[in-house]
Amino acid sequence: MSDTSIALALEAAEARLRSILQTVPDAMIIIDERGRIESLSTTAERLFGYDADEACGRNVSLLMPSPYREQHDAYIERYLKTGERRIIGIGRIVVGQRKDGTTFPMHLTVGELRTGERHHFTGFIRDLTDQQLTEDRLKELQSEVTHMSRFTALGEMASTLAHEINQPLTAISNYLRGSRRLLERMEGENVEMLRDAVSKAADQALRAGQIIRRLREFVARGESERRIESLPKLIEDASTLALVGAREHGIAVTFRLDPAADLVLADRIQIQQVLVNLMRNAIDVMSEGGAVRRLDIATATGLEDQVEVTVADTGSGLAPEVARQLFQPFVTTKRKGMGLGLSICRTIVEAHGGKIWVNSPPEGGTIFHFTLRAAAHDRENEDG
Amino acid sequence: MSKASDAILLVDDDAAVRHALKFSLEMEGFDVRLYPTPEALLAEHDLPADGCLVIDYRMPDIDGLELVERLRSRGVTLPVFLISGRVTRSLRARASSLGIEDVLEKPLSDLAASIRPVLDARP
Ligand SMILES: Nc1ncnc2c1ncn2[C@@H]1O[C@H](COP(=O)(O)OP(=O)(O)OP(=O)(O)O)[C@@H](O)[C@H]1O
Ligand SMILES: [Mg+2]
Repeated sequence: MSDTSIALALEAAEARLRSILQTVPDAMIIIDERGRIESLSTTAERLFGYDADEACGRNVSLLMPSPYREQHDAYIERYLKTGERRIIGIGRIVVGQRKDGTTFPMHLTVGELRTGERHHFTGFIRDLTDQQLTEDRLKELQSEVTHMSRFTALGEMASTLAHEINQPLTAISNYLRGSRRLLERMEGENVEMLRDAVSKAADQALRAGQIIRRLREFVARGESERRIESLPKLIEDASTLALVGAREHGIAVTFRLDPAADLVLADRIQIQQVLVNLMRNAIDVMSEGGAVRRLDIATATGLEDQVEVTVADTGSGLAPEVARQLFQPFVTTKRKGMGLGLSICRTIVEAHGGKIWVNSPPEGGTIFHFTLRAAAHDRENEDG
Repeated sequence: MSKASDAILLVDDDAAVRHALKFSLEMEGFDVRLYPTPEALLAEHDLPADGCLVIDYRMPDIDGLELVERLRSRGVTLPVFLISGRVTRSLRARASSLGIEDVLEKPLSDLAASIRPVLDARP
């Protein structure tokens, strides 16, 4: 081939690539072996908020939050040195960062391209907070979690009922017990009959207590199945569900996931319910108003073998009439609320051996915290 | 035998439960003092040196475990019985890590039987 025909072929190839990048519906980014962005598709420009001109030539770590940002070069180096594939050809859920600093869960698949000695990597990205998320995946998650949450709500109601009935039963059986003691010291023709009647009444109070216990055992049956789960994955799946519609309300979502807070011992669906309930509450309150609407989900390693998850919003804060009894069932300020969300959260978190609490920062909004056990250190299998 | 001076300090936010437990424990010969809230107990300045505490787990604001934690940090070493409408294994585990004597499930048909041996064991 002559020089001109090579130049023409190159130009044609480049034009083809440009047109592909402009029309491909996926966010697509091509980088070189040093991590520098060579080109990106129009969808990727929109997704991350950078123009191609701005982004090209810069390190792709620009598009990820810390600590991944600092580690990315080392990832590429290690791959080039060892050939060990951690993401190439596999696909993973990771966190991306937009130009405005907000982060989001995304599904990333990486392909490799070799021309002679040089490597290029192509990344295909699907925004998981986006509506474009595959309907199937969403439906699957939704049916799992909503089916379970109905079941959990039933269990929560039965257990509340059991608790409420246990209170008067405690009073009844203790008044009867005291009365029987008193009768032992009394004499008279009717005392014997009275003693007998009081004993029988006490037996019946105990029987009612046993029925309550059985009801509770019934709803608690096979309740939780704890496995080693990836906390970031749990959070990403739960956000996928909870964040539907969040964008329409102008809510920006950030994730700050500590890579050290990784594996936890959890019932996947139950912990997703906790996360979904907390995120939905945050979205509910922020949809009502407020100039800044920001939902922040963070993880951190805590004391001993605990990891802590926080869900923070910039809503109007807790209403004083619910603040004291927040985690009790049937406490709600919402017209359509059941007031079960937070009490379910507490039941689940405590059954996992964790704690849940809330605080109201001085600058406004609300922060919910809960803890889970890290899996790496966990040996015993304790249960609720 | 437990001495007449053995005071049982009882904290429960449910008035009927509180009074019924006082009635049955008094009939067993104990001296019982009632507190409707954890705060009321924390405000008590002269806690007896002998006796024990009976504390409900589920109460608004401060739960039973938190109350025990606060009492321990003040140097209160009286034996504690936690009572609850629902006793789970994780509740038991958390209670025993705080040195709680026993966790008893309501409706508590014989609370005195659980308390007496612990009081008797004390000099
Ligand atoms: N992030 C939050 N900001 C402000 N208030 C909140 C927040 N989360 C919960 N609340 C308040 O706590 C109440 C109880 O919440 P919970 O999730 O238990 O029930 P709900 O959301 O009202 O109903 P359900 O979850 O059963 O649909 C809410 O009605 C609301 O007043
Ligand atoms: Mg809710």
